Amino acid sequence: MRPRVAYSFPEEVLEHVFSFIECDKDRGSISLVCKSWYEIERWCRRRVFVGNCYAVSPATVVNRFPKVRSIAIKGKPHFADFNLVPEGWGAYVGPWIKAMAAAYPWLQEIRLKRMVIADECLELIAKSFKNFQVLVLTSCEGFTTDGLAAIAANCRNLRELELRESEVDDICGHWLSHFPDSYTSLVSLNISCLGNEVNLSALERLVSRCPNLQTLRLNRAVPLDRLATLLRGAPQLVELGTGAYTTEMRPEVFTNLAEAFSGCKQLKGLSGFWDVLPSYLPAVYPICSNLTSLNLSYATIQSPDLIKLVGQCESLQRLWVLDYIEDAGLEVIAASCKDLRELRVFPSDPFGLEPNVALTEQGLVSVSEGCTKLQSVLYFCRQMSNAALDTIARSRPNMTRFRLCIIEPRAPDYLTHQPLDAGFGAIVEHCKDLQRLSLSGLLTDRVFEYIGTYGKKLEMLSVAFAGDSDLGLHHVLSGCDNLRKLEIRDCPFGDKALLANAAKLETMRSLWMSSCLVSYGACKLLGQKMPRLNVEVIDERGPPDSRPESSPVEKLYIYRTVSGPRLDMPGYVWRMQDDSALRIS
Amino acid sequence: MEKEAVGLEITTELRLGLPGGELPDKNEKIKKRVFSEIQAHDDDENSSSEQDRKIQTKNQVVGWPPVCSYRKKNTVNETKMYVKVSMDGAPFLRKIDLAMHKGYSELVLALEKFFGCYGIREALKDAENAEHVPIYEDKDGDWMLVGDVPWEMFIESCKRLRIMKRSDAKGFDLQPKGSLKGFIEGVTK
Repeated sequence: MRPRVAYSFPEEVLEHVFSFIECDKDRGSISLVCKSWYEIERWCRRRVFVGNCYAVSPATVVNRFPKVRSIAIKGKPHFADFNLVPEGWGAYVGPWIKAMAAAYPWLQEIRLKRMVIADECLELIAKSFKNFQVLVLTSCEGFTTDGLAAIAANCRNLRELELRESEVDDICGHWLSHFPDSYTSLVSLNISCLGNEVNLSALERLVSRCPNLQTLRLNRAVPLDRLATLLRGAPQLVELGTGAYTTEMRPEVFTNLAEAFSGCKQLKGLSGFWDVLPSYLPAVYPICSNLTSLNLSYATIQSPDLIKLVGQCESLQRLWVLDYIEDAGLEVIAASCKDLRELRVFPSDPFGLEPNVALTEQGLVSVSEGCTKLQSVLYFCRQMSNAALDTIARSRPNMTRFRLCIIEPRAPDYLTHQPLDAGFGAIVEHCKDLQRLSLSGLLTDRVFEYIGTYGKKLEMLSVAFAGDSDLGLHHVLSGCDNLRKLEIRDCPFGDKALLANAAKLETMRSLWMSSCLVSYGACKLLGQKMPRLNVEVIDERGPPDSRPESSPVEKLYIYRTVSGPRLDMPGYVWRMQDDSALRIS
Repeated sequence: MEKEAVGLEITTELRLGLPGGELPDKNEKIKKRVFSEIQAHDDDENSSSEQDRKIQTKNQVVGWPPVCSYRKKNTVNETKMYVKVSMDGAPFLRKIDLAMHKGYSELVLALEKFFGCYGIREALKDAENAEHVPIYEDKDGDWMLVGDVPWEMFIESCKRLRIMKRSDAKGFDLQPKGSLKGFIEGVTK
């Protein structure tokens, strides 16, 4: 009886059950159970995440999932953020938008990261989707405010427009005027990365007529003396990013600002604060105790003022800050911010040769010991020790993300002058749920042995200036069962480890290696051996064929794909499966 | 030992070079550091090919430390007048934005905030016998007493600040005007 009951569930019932499954992985598993579950799942799939825009073709996605409402796509390798990927590499979203425009008239949400999106694509989005609501562009490029004007003018149900750290050709500040006067559905607006002034009157009208606006992140050019007006128009805000936080010192500006902030009872998140004049900081003190998120990572507030501000935010769960916070500030945070889960400390002078602030490993130790809920760390500093890393690991075994950047490459333990293997080893050993790790400092193959042994849940690993031999890479590829993304630069890793673990690469999303010792010959062999991998050699110096097969390639990007070669490779990218001779002729 | 010596030597050299704070200077320093990296590399391996050297040089400059492009653009482009401030006995340099201060009195308050625990307060109370003397390097490379010239001239020519012990000041190559009179007048304004 049981088997029959199971098989006789109507499709509608199963579809309803599946609607409660939101995790991508679980959806993927469901679709593998049997043919009928595959069919039911694909028809009721509403959200799709594409981790690499070249891993699958738009046509394949559209054919398999006919009723998608929300899509998120990632493009360039992460190292594009640091100028390691040459201009024009790819990640053009055009083909995706065209395919979705034809297949998904009811698409509501598009989220893109590290992709190139032209104004024509934005115009196509604006015209194609009848109920378009969410556009989030993170680290994207290629568009102008003209494209934004098209979105503003045509997307009547738009709820979220978020431009995060994107390169926008900021032609005209009047694009905001293209929102119709009847448009009132905005919930989230982030224009923080726009460079030019916006039409402040249009902005104020927009903000005040949208009663559900919760998130507003202004760009630097919005002057401080207009902030109060904006806040009075939207006292319901939950998250605010200010523009410049400086102006001539005038008592009425401060008074207006303080009153406006006092009126924002729901504020939980603050960011912005470009160009801070410390005298204006007390205006936000009244709302500090309610803040759960504070991003001051572009705020050049010197240490004493910064400590005074942060010290009042005892409810913080997320803090992004420049290293002006110093060890003293982190001690204050450790003592008062007991709910802190995520800390990011960025360098204020990353290219300086001497420390310009009193930030050391001790600050991170303090926070690790004092903030018992801390799970995620990104920390730039100039000195570190194995002892500190060991203390951090033992204090915070619940850490899932640990990214440490010691600014000087190959810096050893500053106390013992030994490699930092033991310290990072302690991190991977004690933090059993660690998913993301970024290494720095002086490291030998031994650290990779630790990572291969203990990093069973590690999904993303970033390595620079580390290791001794192929054995290091072998430890990682053969030991980290759940590794999805691996990025390596300036390490002496070569052919043996890569070829010996070729099958592993098919289980990963991508591998980046630059300035390593992988030979052109090994890349060709890998490309021939693994047809479902795209093995791309990036070489702006000319065809790799012109050099001996044993010479190392400059940059290598390997990713799994079910769609074969991409059609938009620039001239300096060579796919190893292709016959190079044909391209030369 | 060799590597350590090389590092120390370069550090010493850099101290006598141009101060930081302007992008071109940073570029110059970056290049110098790359050179030291190559040297260290050579020492480690006893030999390296020209090709490896080029790759090493090129990539050591690009993309490290891993600060994303967006952040670099948004911080380096600031129109600030940052100068470095060092104090004898203090373990860290500070950077201070002269443009954010209207005059000597505000500058003194800021310095006090940063270095108060190192006794700068005394410099305000008893100038002639103060243990610490604020001086600055002007654009000609001369060390001058803070307060001797009008504020506007000061912020245009100041490249670096130092708070030094009076005991060291006597041997320092200060300009003949060496007195704190102007400084006190500036503070009083």
